[in-house]
Amino acid sequence: MRNRFPLSRRTFLRGTGVSLALPWLEGMLPRASASAAVADAAPVRMAVLFMPNGVPPKKWSPSGVGREFELSSILEPLKDFKNDIVIPTNLWHQASNTGDGHYVKTAGLLTGTTINKTVGLDLNCNGVSLDQVAAQAIGRQTPLPSLELGTDPVDLGVDAQVGYTRVYGGHISWSGPTRPVAKEIHPRLVYERLFRAAQPHDAAATSDKPLLDLVLGDAKRLRAQLGGHDRQKIDEYLESVRALEQRLDRTTSSDRQAWKPRAAVEHAGTLPAAIPESHQEHVQLMLDMIVLAFRADVTRVSTFMFGNSVSGTDFSFLDGVKGGHHPLSHHQNEESNLKQYELIARWHIAQYAYLLTKLREVREGERSLLENTMVMFGSDLHDGNRHSPHNLPIVLAGQAGGRLQTGQHLEFSADTPLANLYVSMLTAMGVPTKRFADSTGPLPGVLA
Amino acid sequence: MQRTKRHLLSWLVLSMGMATGVQAEPPEFDAAAAGRFIEQYCLDCHNADDPQAGLNLAGFSGAESLADARPKWQKLMRRVKQHEMPPPDVDHPPLEERAAFTNWVTATLHEQICGDGIWRGPAPIRRLNKSEYRATIRDLLGVHFDAAYALPDDGAGGEGFDNAAETLFLSPLHAEMYLEAAKQALAYAAKDARAQKIIFDGQPSADLSVVDAARKVLERFALRAFRRPPTAEEVDALLSLFTAARQSQQSFEEAILYALQGALVSPNFLFRVEQRSESDQPEPLNDYELATRLSYFLWGSMADDALLELAREGKLRDETVLREQMVRMLKDDKSRGLAESFMGQWLGVRRLGVETKPNAELFPEFNYELEDGMRQEPIRFFQEILAEDLSLMTLIDADFTYANKALARLYEIDKTAGKEINEWTIRLPLPEGSPRGGVLTMAGVLTANSYPHRTSPVLRGKWVLETLLGAGPPPPPPEVPALPEEPQETAVTLRARLEQHRADATCAACHKLMDPVGFCLENFDAIGRWRTEDSGQPIDATGELPSGQQCDGPEGLKKLLLERKDDFARHFTTKLLGYAIGRGLVDKDYCEVDRIAKTLQDSEYKAQTLVWGIITSPPFTMRGN
Repeated sequence: MRNRFPLSRRTFLRGTGVSLALPWLEGMLPRASASAAVADAAPVRMAVLFMPNGVPPKKWSPSGVGREFELSSILEPLKDFKNDIVIPTNLWHQASNTGDGHYVKTAGLLTGTTINKTVGLDLNCNGVSLDQVAAQAIGRQTPLPSLELGTDPVDLGVDAQVGYTRVYGGHISWSGPTRPVAKEIHPRLVYERLFRAAQPHDAAATSDKPLLDLVLGDAKRLRAQLGGHDRQKIDEYLESVRALEQRLDRTTSSDRQAWKPRAAVEHAGTLPAAIPESHQEHVQLMLDMIVLAFRADVTRVSTFMFGNSVSGTDFSFLDGVKGGHHPLSHHQNEESNLKQYELIARWHIAQYAYLLTKLREVREGERSLLENTMVMFGSDLHDGNRHSPHNLPIVLAGQAGGRLQTGQHLEFSADTPLANLYVSMLTAMGVPTKRFADSTGPLPGVLA
Repeated sequence: MQRTKRHLLSWLVLSMGMATGVQAEPPEFDAAAAGRFIEQYCLDCHNADDPQAGLNLAGFSGAESLADARPKWQKLMRRVKQHEMPPPDVDHPPLEERAAFTNWVTATLHEQICGDGIWRGPAPIRRLNKSEYRATIRDLLGVHFDAAYALPDDGAGGEGFDNAAETLFLSPLHAEMYLEAAKQALAYAAKDARAQKIIFDGQPSADLSVVDAARKVLERFALRAFRRPPTAEEVDALLSLFTAARQSQQSFEEAILYALQGALVSPNFLFRVEQRSESDQPEPLNDYELATRLSYFLWGSMADDALLELAREGKLRDETVLREQMVRMLKDDKSRGLAESFMGQWLGVRRLGVETKPNAELFPEFNYELEDGMRQEPIRFFQEILAEDLSLMTLIDADFTYANKALARLYEIDKTAGKEINEWTIRLPLPEGSPRGGVLTMAGVLTANSYPHRTSPVLRGKWVLETLLGAGPPPPPPEVPALPEEPQETAVTLRARLEQHRADATCAACHKLMDPVGFCLENFDAIGRWRTEDSGQPIDATGELPSGQQCDGPEGLKKLLLERKDDFARHFTTKLLGYAIGRGLVDKDYCEVDRIAKTLQDSEYKAQTLVWGIITSPPFTMRGN
């Protein structure tokens, strides 16, 4: 019986993160089971990286179309991945050509819909985001259906000037029209969560189950007393509790179908206790978490926000840049602003290349993890000075298990729905989708 | 009732007149005059054929037109009142006529919206937000432990605060993080003598069986955690966790802590739940619910034993008791919970170091100590205003502030009363001639509204209009028309650069409202330090409000704002009421705002008059509908 409730000091200590202060956890999970799993057909993974504030006009698109194309200077950091990327140009979301300069475009980037104009009441993005559509279809196969990451907490306040709550600008993942998915910004906390999620037969999990049962009981009683809207709030919590319970079931079950990590949740370096001061270090640690999660198969779907909508992150750490991202994006055609704005966009692409490099380094049988993954990079507007919603800067990298035709610049006619790309991506993910927002079909030339 | 209403109307008319600097009784104005006003000043652009900005005012037919489209008229009234419309290049109404028109619209709208019945508004269920969770665990367990550390941050809604029910979402992440947070907090409490004393108010003994002792402990804890006496069923559920843990050989203490983990992830703890009103008639909250509303408003945390005891005795709704409690709570240091959340968000100082960070190379002075000083200043300042029942106008101008050593140095004050200032924030009487005093000149505010490398008159101007007067300029368009292709010459001074920007008509429409207000604060650099030149050029701190009233430097700006006491007091009332009831205000809530603002005007804008007005207003004291 003692094992059923191992509520010892050790359990408490683990909760306080004490054990995590120990050297990194190379091989804490049984290696044998991990490597055995690799032999199975590797799953397809999907990640989306969001860059706020757009790119300088006429500086993004590659020259030349099809397989013979030259990368622009912003895209130059991708030169080692020329054969692993598709650059579709002239895509947009019809639905984001309204409202305001930023929020409509950010919150709608992955939904392809128009958000309600509100500072809170009746907040609604009127859709489900690309990543969440995928997570809802395949997320049950892994401990975490999806992983939402970023670097900034939700911005303060509401933007009374444009009439939107900044909640919109802080979320690209929406599990339902009224459900923005909270993102995590602290690398170490993400790591701890991944570690917990990857622990099979964890003793703490066993003692957690009765607690969750109590919650479900209390919630049911409470629910009965409440009216429609309030009931919905309790249901949101119930859903969150049930998801945790299911995960405990999946990872503690002795069933053959039960989930097993494909690799140990481990980390090569030392993870700092606090969020790093350096933006680049912060970003790269968060991207490491995506690699870690995909490699161990803790999740197959992830989004990452380099910054919130309208982010004013100070990029003075880059040579030749002096100022914040959003102010510089309003370049007013001044040469010096345009140059700095370009350097910032290029830096984002370099971080994207960093992620691709890490994914390529991981072997999964015949293929690299990159070949089993698709990573979209995108911004929600083109020229930040004009808040232009046309010709969104988008790149798709990785082969999604051989389902994507990479190594091309695909130039479409003006204002082709970006949602068409999403149809193709979901198809590659094994989530057959006929229609997504204003899509008119898959994007020609993307699927192999 | 009729009399009160008329009184209210005449006050509105009067205050609006003062708001625009017109002291005399405005001339007679009626629906016909409003029609003439619209025809003369609006219809050239907002006509049926080609309505600018989609606004067609052609069908105006008197007061009924207002009832048909209230939000439209509220917006229109605001634009006219703030001198945003009509635009500068067309025919302009004289000040008196402008005031008379906006007064008529305001009064007519007020009359249409505010009936004679009691308005209570919705009171949706909400979870504790991150800071409420942190403070509640602190007070519930008596531990100084940040249990909310790993919780995701909350966004803001309604009046701009992160306690707005409409934007307190729950993600899959939450359940997991609440469970982890509960474990960590209780692990900490298990090693803390004070927490042990608070939790274990019963121990098994010769007279008390183990189960009875556990029941006593759990019942007491659940009362405090659920903010009401728990039901027998709820106590049984907790007790069964205790029993199960005991069966696997856990000690009494361990088994209790395990059961408490359950209480801390229960929705009864994580959500603030109020009984719903069954009838159509307004129904007051019960005493426990009122205690909770008070404690989360004034402390940002759970009710203490004194409040719970008054609730148990059913005394809290007694006016004398309630007033005593309000004063006690505002004098308690826990009012920091209100001051920190409200001021941090209303002023935007919470943005410091997160969304806004001065560049370290240019501003090496901006270190942790200075940042901390900037954060603490408005908090301690507001705590004093509340506790000492000072005038709300102290927020605009004051002869004291709060600072630590680094901040005092930035303010060029070395000593106070002959004593050195150390790293702790203390009260600081301001010397004669100091440009400081009031929120406008606080370094935290000035820094939060600057860019990393330089000041931004645009952000600061927008901040003054939006934050202090509730008069934000209209938004930029979704897609801005292209600028001329040829690269621009870079102008030397910031003022010249902004003037270049305003040369573009699309930009000018709004920037001519914001920029000139911000110019008056140009004597403060990007970390709020006083300066007389920038890049070798002398500072020109002349500017103006959208009304055309001129100011020169911060003192001039404060003076102009103090001429608009009622505008400020009314706006501040909307903010604090929105914070208190944790939701965005709807039309009818403004009737309460007007009522409270009236009591403020009659009491020299005393802070406690405002708090009293709020905690006795139906949206605060009644069950939701």
